[in-house]
Amino acid sequence: MRRDRGRKPKKKICSFCVEKVDDVDYKQYDKLKRFVTERGKVLPRRISGNCAKHQRQLTRAIKKSRIMALLPFSME
Amino acid sequence: MELYEAMIIISPELEKDDHQEVLDGLSSAITKNNGSVSTVLDWRRRRLAYEIDKVQEGHYYLIYFSADGTVIPEVEHYFRVTDEIIRFMVVRTSEEEFEAAAKKAASEAEAAKKAAAEESAVVDESAAAVGASEAEVTESADTAETPEPAQDSQEKTAEAEVESSEAEGEEEKPADE
Repeated sequence: MRRDRGRKPKKKICSFCVEKVDDVDYKQYDKLKRFVTERGKVLPRRISGNCAKHQRQLTRAIKKSRIMALLPFSME
Repeated sequence: MELYEAMIIISPELEKDDHQEVLDGLSSAITKNNGSVSTVLDWRRRRLAYEIDKVQEGHYYLIYFSADGTVIPEVEHYFRVTDEIIRFMVVRTSEEEFEAAAKKAASEAEAAKKAAAEESAVVDESAAAVGASEAEVTESADTAETPEPAQDSQEKTAEAEVESSEAEGEEEKPADE
């Protein structure tokens, strides 16, 4: 009952689906940047609103980017 | 035959003139095994997101090539034995990406040529006595060296972002010590 209080959660839309991205590219690290926290962690789907398919691709792309030092593994 | 994309980071300590040597070594490793290099994109020098082997910067190159899968161990071996390459990654890529890269390289080359032509035109005006052959030499040198102005703005902003994030990192470093 209590949970019903407050605002209805807004339906989030996967931004990759909107842009019709087939494969999330690890080279576009400036785009990937939006999906990591300031500590460098991958933003959860619950926050970013990505669909499952693109979230999976995103995670792999971020990990590739990190290997190539385009994104940090961690930021203090 | 598969399509591959290799990204390498060359140590900033290596002079820019010697980069070609590293790239040549790579292409010979590929062609020796019946592969062929399609495009080489110069991502230029950029700041690394974190320190690798005590360096903060690296010169990125993207190499697109088609080859059999058996070439990959050879290529990776070459990357490993070349000390100037501080990071590498080979991934399979799509035909669209392959073509997009080729197109980008072509437009970059054209823009570089244009810039070089403009530059040499200026040179010609200021020093009309300069022989045509000499002008040609400077032009070809320029094409090789001028960082292409064709780099799209998106990449530039990306670079700026990297720099700004790097600045943040530096702010925090003294606190650590």
